[in-house]
Amino acid sequence: MISRLSEKLRSLRTMGLSMAGAAALATVMFLPTQSAAEEEVVILGIWPITGPYADMGPLLNRGVEIALEEVGYKVAGKKIKYITRDSETKAGTAARRAQGAIDSEGVKFIIGPWSSGVALAVTEVAKKNKVMYYFSGGTEDITGKRCHKYAFMWAANAWTAMDANLKIFKKFNPNAKSIYLFVVDYAFGWTLQKYVEKLAPKYGLKIAGVDRHPLGHREYSSFITKAMATKPDAVYMINFGLDAISAVRQLYNFGFTPKKPVILSWSAGVEELVQMDPAMRANLQFGTNYYYTVDTPGNKSFVDAYKKKSGGIPPGYAPGAGYGLMKMTLLGMQKANSTDPKKVIQALEGLKGKNFVGDFAINGRNHQTVRPYFVARTKPEDKMANKYDFATIQDISSTEQPRDLNQCQDIGGF
Amino acid sequence: MRDRNIFLIVLAFVVIGPFVQPKVIITEMLIFGIVAVANNIMIGYTGMLSFGQAMFFGIGAYVAGLLLKAGMPLIVALPVGTLFVLVLSIAVGYFCVQRTGLYFICITFAFNQMFYFIAYSWTGLTGGEDGLPGIPRPSLLLDPVAFYVFVAVVFLACLVAMKRIVDSPLGLICQTIRENPSRAAAVGYNVKLYKLTAFTIASTFTGLAGTVYAMLYGIVPIDQIHWLKSGDFIFMTLLGGTGNFFGPILGAVGYIWMSETFSLYWARWPLIMGIVFVVVVVYLRGGIVELIGKVYGSIQRAREAP
Amino acid sequence: MSFLILSQILNGFATGMLYALVGVGLTLVLGVLNLPNFAHGTLFAFGAYFTYTVANLTDSFYLGVLIGPLLVVLIGFVIESQGVRRLYAAHHDYQLLFLFAVALILQETVILIWGPVGFSLLPPKFLAGAVDLGFTVYPKYRLALILFTATIVVALYLMLTRTNVGAILRAGIENREMVKVLGIDINKVFLFTFGLGAYLAGLAGGLATPIWGLTPTMGFDILPISFVIVVVAGLGSILGAIAAGILIGLAQSLTTIWWPEAANVVIYLIMGLTIILRPQGLFGSR
Repeated sequence: MISRLSEKLRSLRTMGLSMAGAAALATVMFLPTQSAAEEEVVILGIWPITGPYADMGPLLNRGVEIALEEVGYKVAGKKIKYITRDSETKAGTAARRAQGAIDSEGVKFIIGPWSSGVALAVTEVAKKNKVMYYFSGGTEDITGKRCHKYAFMWAANAWTAMDANLKIFKKFNPNAKSIYLFVVDYAFGWTLQKYVEKLAPKYGLKIAGVDRHPLGHREYSSFITKAMATKPDAVYMINFGLDAISAVRQLYNFGFTPKKPVILSWSAGVEELVQMDPAMRANLQFGTNYYYTVDTPGNKSFVDAYKKKSGGIPPGYAPGAGYGLMKMTLLGMQKANSTDPKKVIQALEGLKGKNFVGDFAINGRNHQTVRPYFVARTKPEDKMANKYDFATIQDISSTEQPRDLNQCQDIGGF
Repeated sequence: MRDRNIFLIVLAFVVIGPFVQPKVIITEMLIFGIVAVANNIMIGYTGMLSFGQAMFFGIGAYVAGLLLKAGMPLIVALPVGTLFVLVLSIAVGYFCVQRTGLYFICITFAFNQMFYFIAYSWTGLTGGEDGLPGIPRPSLLLDPVAFYVFVAVVFLACLVAMKRIVDSPLGLICQTIRENPSRAAAVGYNVKLYKLTAFTIASTFTGLAGTVYAMLYGIVPIDQIHWLKSGDFIFMTLLGGTGNFFGPILGAVGYIWMSETFSLYWARWPLIMGIVFVVVVVYLRGGIVELIGKVYGSIQRAREAP
Repeated sequence: MSFLILSQILNGFATGMLYALVGVGLTLVLGVLNLPNFAHGTLFAFGAYFTYTVANLTDSFYLGVLIGPLLVVLIGFVIESQGVRRLYAAHHDYQLLFLFAVALILQETVILIWGPVGFSLLPPKFLAGAVDLGFTVYPKYRLALILFTATIVVALYLMLTRTNVGAILRAGIENREMVKVLGIDINKVFLFTFGLGAYLAGLAGGLATPIWGLTPTMGFDILPISFVIVVVAGLGSILGAIAAGILIGLAQSLTTIWWPEAANVVIYLIMGLTIILRPQGLFGSR
């Protein structure tokens, strides 16, 4: 009996030690949680460092850092603590990282990511935790169906973009009658397709056909064959990134371009152009939220600062977006002279001004930043002044989306 | 170590965890802990490697999410979601268990892809690529602490239930099937039926975990039904250790911890994950449990040495 | 419409031949080593990247396609001798997962070496541009691809059926134990086969660069398709892999006519149906 008792004691001791060990391990293993110091404001940049858009993460971050360096990492009397997290372009993981950073670092402002799908998850986290969120991307739901008091959009509205693209195409191809659409198959693509279908008649253009392809598609020969059978005057693409590049490459292989133009209606600009051979991009028109030849003093200093960091490559949309998002967030804090998200939001609503892309105005009703959208046309290789002299900007427009098309019924309160 | 003791350690972790880590991280560890343990019912106990468990996790999340959005109370949404996955897993499982080995992997993968495609295309129902938003939490669970307690209770309850199942004759038969399917058949067991049972049980608990996940961020993102998520589940189960019922919990904890920690320090952190996985697969096939066993064993030997 | 169908058949055939090349490599490894090589996709990617680097250094696409895949063989040898060989005694699942982890490591290595941004590689001047076939205008490079892959496939088939080495491989697919009993060093056979599989994957990658470009995730993109081909073909059937590759290519391109959004998922439907209705694959015997 005594041996059984001592056995019991021993197993209790082992258990106790094990539990203590587990607790110690848990404490040691896990990073200590930090909360923001009083004189600090914590801003989170959530970017794709790994995964499908891993090439964009470092570029976006570079743009952000330039904006922070311009103000010396200080704003409204406080130090700025800028932290980043990997979105992996997975909405669930990004939501976890954003929530975790809010809990452990005291994040009050979030910018990023790159992908619209992920943004729609992050905006929910921002809304729930009442932190300000500024996104730059294609989904108009951020200032539409899913609008809320804490979320803002930096990229131009898709309506603005489609209008500008069609206008310029018709201007340089006055005899053109039809376009064929390649549309990436999800909500973003469908919305832009709807807008193009609405706007095309205004410019005397017919839509010869539409093909929706899955996101991440690489093999376009079947779509190209279908398109070429309808003999359109251009292929108008509502997609981006590698999808767009692959399609352009194959359109070139099939001989459609450079004979006829290809329109990349929602392009990252430089980031996509560098991945193409000069022969492929000889006759492209692209619409973009940022192009580095924009002629404003703010932009010149940004481009110079960026080239120093990038080894001479000019910034495309990604760094332009990172820079723009941080600039606007800082602007709100400066105008409010506070880092309280509520005060910053109130300062931003209805704010008008000029920045590195030109004139901007923040719509107080849906938090859309109304700002210029750029349409450019590429130059043939022999006309390029240097290897990054891809294109010339032909149009800068800020046509706001018509009120009746915007689905933000009520942005709500704090 | 006695199972009851391990259970107490798990309990300790559940209680202490939220004090040393952001609640959301621990919550995910518990949710995916359920999935990993359930997955092990197939991998460790029955010898079936499924590359499609994400479909059940995702479907559970979508169904529960839609019901909650429609105003159903929690007591309806979660069980109905779980029940839906149960019925579906019987149908899917029926086809999958017809094959073994590589073919089993491929057919579970194919089903996963098909459900992913349905979720992606049926945007009216699931939101497609943009995810299913606006899932409300019942007012009782709005407080993060209350929600965590809820998840912890569900986690522990699932553990108890699954432990009961694997300790029952069913569990033993499954292990027999894993060891030698032809012998099991020769003795008279309907191998396919038992495999289907294991498949259904594992998938149902996975779906249940999914229903809880729907309330975590108020959104069901589409990556939760993607085949890469199925790969994550396998990783978690194997990392923890398939030879022990509780092992996969360590795998879920370890995987999420590594993912959160490594991503802070190096942009190419998936490479480290790959190396860890290689080490586990080549040297430490029993996972973290085997590692602990080895460490424990060498401590014992050191103590017993004269 | 009939012109459209004809051109889509041509399209499907072209991509199908490329898929077939990828599938044949995978099916050889599966047949002889009984190993589902989850790293096959990243070997495809490395083939593309090596081809790109060599082509840029030498200014010759042909040299790139010649040398690039050979470098991939080296990687294949390392994987087989250092990793896979240790796992032959272990459960099947572990070999599989080891290769999956290797794929992950290799993909990140691509980014470490070449960076995360994608590249383009143009076809050689002789094959650039398109030719008018009457019913459609078609890129010269894709036509050349069909001819070239067909040649490779024929050469492979001859090697397998007419040479001693080929006989040993086919024996290895049918009955590994017997090969050992006959006194042949099975390790050498495995090493050779894995290297051959790596070569075919790398070659396919190099040949694909003018069409699909280069991006670090291209390995994981092609992996599901290669497994669909192997399953539909049937274990260890070379002819099956070729037929399955072409079938998959055709399925994708023809689906595009009527239901383009489903172009990707239709192949999983085919795989699922094959497993259910004809589990040994269209051409397999096991």
